[in-house]
Amino acid sequence: MPSEQQPTQPKTLPFLFTPVVSSDESAERENPHVKSTTIVPDVVSGLKERFGEAVRAASVYAGEHTVLIARDRLVEVCTYLKDELGFNFLSDLGGIDRFTDEERYEIFYNLVSIENEQRLRVKIRIDESDLEAPTLTDVFRAADWNERECYDMFGIRFVGHPDLRRMYMPEDFEYHPLRKEFPLLGIPGSLPLPPQSPEAGLTMDPFPAAHGSKPVKSFDEEPGEDLSEIRSEMPSERPDDK
Amino acid sequence: MSIIPQIDFGKTLSYWPRHNEAIYRRLESKHAWLEEVRPPDEAESVDPLDNQMVLNMGPQHPATHGVLRCAIQLDGETIEKCVLDIGYLHRGLEKLAESKTYQEFMPYTDRMDYLAPYSNNVAWCLAVEKLAAVEVPERAQWIRMIMSELARISSHLLWMGVALMDAGAVSVFLWTFQFREDLYSIFDEVAGARLTVSHSRIGGLVTDLGGTGIKLIEDFVEHFPAAVVEWEKLLNRNRIWIDRVEGIGVLTPEEAIEFGMTGANLRGSGVGHDIRRFEPYLKYDEVDFTIPTRTEGDALARYFVRMEEMKEAIKIIRQCLDRLPEGEIRSDDAKRSYPGKDEVYYSMEGLIHDFMYTDTGVCPPKGAEVYHAIESPKGELGFYLQSDGTGRPCRARINSPSFSNLQGLENMLEGGTMGDMVVMIGTVDPVLGEADK
Repeated sequence: MPSEQQPTQPKTLPFLFTPVVSSDESAERENPHVKSTTIVPDVVSGLKERFGEAVRAASVYAGEHTVLIARDRLVEVCTYLKDELGFNFLSDLGGIDRFTDEERYEIFYNLVSIENEQRLRVKIRIDESDLEAPTLTDVFRAADWNERECYDMFGIRFVGHPDLRRMYMPEDFEYHPLRKEFPLLGIPGSLPLPPQSPEAGLTMDPFPAAHGSKPVKSFDEEPGEDLSEIRSEMPSERPDDK
Repeated sequence: MSIIPQIDFGKTLSYWPRHNEAIYRRLESKHAWLEEVRPPDEAESVDPLDNQMVLNMGPQHPATHGVLRCAIQLDGETIEKCVLDIGYLHRGLEKLAESKTYQEFMPYTDRMDYLAPYSNNVAWCLAVEKLAAVEVPERAQWIRMIMSELARISSHLLWMGVALMDAGAVSVFLWTFQFREDLYSIFDEVAGARLTVSHSRIGGLVTDLGGTGIKLIEDFVEHFPAAVVEWEKLLNRNRIWIDRVEGIGVLTPEEAIEFGMTGANLRGSGVGHDIRRFEPYLKYDEVDFTIPTRTEGDALARYFVRMEEMKEAIKIIRQCLDRLPEGEIRSDDAKRSYPGKDEVYYSMEGLIHDFMYTDTGVCPPKGAEVYHAIESPKGELGFYLQSDGTGRPCRARINSPSFSNLQGLENMLEGGTMGDMVVMIGTVDPVLGEADK
C-alpha cells in the first residue's frame, strides 16, 4: 500500500554552470604569451619602499604586475611614477564592477614607460557608498576622456575633473550601463529616440515587447518608480480579477 | 562675452535637450588660448554676429569619417574652441561581452574597426589566449601575421583614398579601391567573408591557408609595391598636396605622448613607439622590418609614415610567406579550442567537445586578469580581460586607438582653420565604430 504521507520534495539538482575552478591547471602552466615589458618587480618593490602602507597589495598573473594603491594616495603615486620612473604614457583607464558588498568598484590605470619599455597596472578600489575618485587629469591629460567614460559607464565621480560629462550616452540618460545590475536589454523608455516622421512625436520605447524589470539604483537614491500603481490604474482585461 | 544664450534653438532640439545644452555649455566655458591673445577692448567692440559663430559639423557629414560630431566656435575662419561629441555608434560592446563566451564575442570585434577586422580578431584571440594560457601552433601564428599585415594595408589604403579625397583629389580614391578589391578577394578566399572575416579562433585559425590563397597573396605582393611607387611619384612632390597638408595639425612629441595618441599619429610626431617592437606578439620579433618615424608631427608627416608602413607590411608578408611552416593550425587541446570538423563529424568525443566548447568555452582561472595589446592599423588596440572562472569574461575592456586619437584631435583642431579641419580629421584617421565601442 502506498502511504498517504506527502511525497518528499525531490532534491533540486544543482546546475553547475561554473566548472570547478580548483582543478584547472592553467594557472600553473607556463604562459606562452608573457611579455618582458610587464615584468617589473623592481618598480613594485620601489613603490612599496617609498609609499609603505599606501601600497595595499601587489599581485602577478601571466607576468603582469598589478599594484593596489590607497585611493587617497593615487595622485601622489602616479606623479612619482611619471616624474621619477618615466611612466609618462597613460595607455588606458577604466572601471570594473566587482559586485561585492565592500569596495565594489575598481579603477585600473595602465601606465607605460616608453623609454624604459615597461608597463604597470595600478588599481584603486572605491566603496559603493562613496563613489568618488581623484582625477588624474592634472598628471596625465590623456585621462580626460577615459575618466569621462568611466563616469558614464559606472557613475564614479572624478573629483577635480575639468569637464565631467558623459562620454557615450547622452546627458538625458540616467543610468550607468556597465554596472552589473543594469539589464543587458536596456531599460525601455529610458532614452527617447528621434521621431519616425516629421509630424510624429518622440519614439519613447523602441522595444515595446521588451518590458523587463526596472533596476533599483544601487546607492543613496530613491528606489525606482513603483510600477504597481500604474498597473492598478490600467483597465483590467479580465473582469473576474476584481 | 557669451554668444550662446542668443541662439534660439526653437524646435530643433526636441530630443536629448540636456545633452545638447551640456555640449554648448562646455563650448562656452572651455578655456581657449586664442581668446587671451585677442586684446579685450577689440573683442568687446566687435559685433559677435559678424565675426563669431558656433557651428555644428556632423554627426551626418561625409568628411567626419562616420558619425563624429564637432561643435566648434569660430572666430572668422579660425577655430577658437572645439568640442567633439562621440557615441552615436555606441553599441555597448563591453556590456555585450559580459554575456557572451569568449569565442562568441569574436564576431563583434569585426564590427569595431571595420576597415581592418582581421587585426581585431587577432587582438581578441591573443588576449584570451594570454588569459587562459593557450598555446598557438606556429603555422597559425605566421598566417595571422600575414593576414594582419594585409588588413593594415587595406586600412591604410582606405585612409589614403579618403584623406586625399578630403583634400580634393578624387582619383586616388578610385585607384586605392582597386587594390582594396584585390585584398577583399584574398580575405574572401582565405576566410570565406570579404569584410567580417571572423577567421581567427581561440587557439589558432578556423581554416588553413590553401594554395589558391597563397597564390593570390603572392600576386598582390608582387604588384602592389609598384603601385605605391606610382602614387608616391604623384604625391610626394606634388605642390597642391604638400601645400594643403604641410604644417597642419602639428603635434610635438611631448604633446602626442600627453594626449595619449597612438599609431601613426604618435610616430609622425617623432616617438617611435610601436607595439610590434615594444611587446612583440606572434612572430614579430623574428622578422626584419623598420618602424617609420617622422619628426615634423604635421599632417604630411602622418601621410609619409602611413605610406612607409604599407611598404614595411609588404616586406613582412614576404618574409612570412618564405618562412611559413607546415603543421597544425589549431591547438590540439580540446578544453581550450574547437576540435576539427573531421573529428566532430566522425567521433563522439569530438562532438561532445564541440558542444561543450560552444556552450561553456574556455574557462580561465578565477581572478585572472590580463592586458594584451597589438599594433592595429590605427594604433595600440588592447583588451583588458578579467575572469571570474566561468566561460564568460567578468569584465572586458577595449582600449581602442581611435578613441585616444580623437581626444588628441580635439586639442589639435583648436587654433587651426575651418578649411583645414577636414584634412586634420582625415589624417588622424579615426574610425568611429572603434571609438564608440
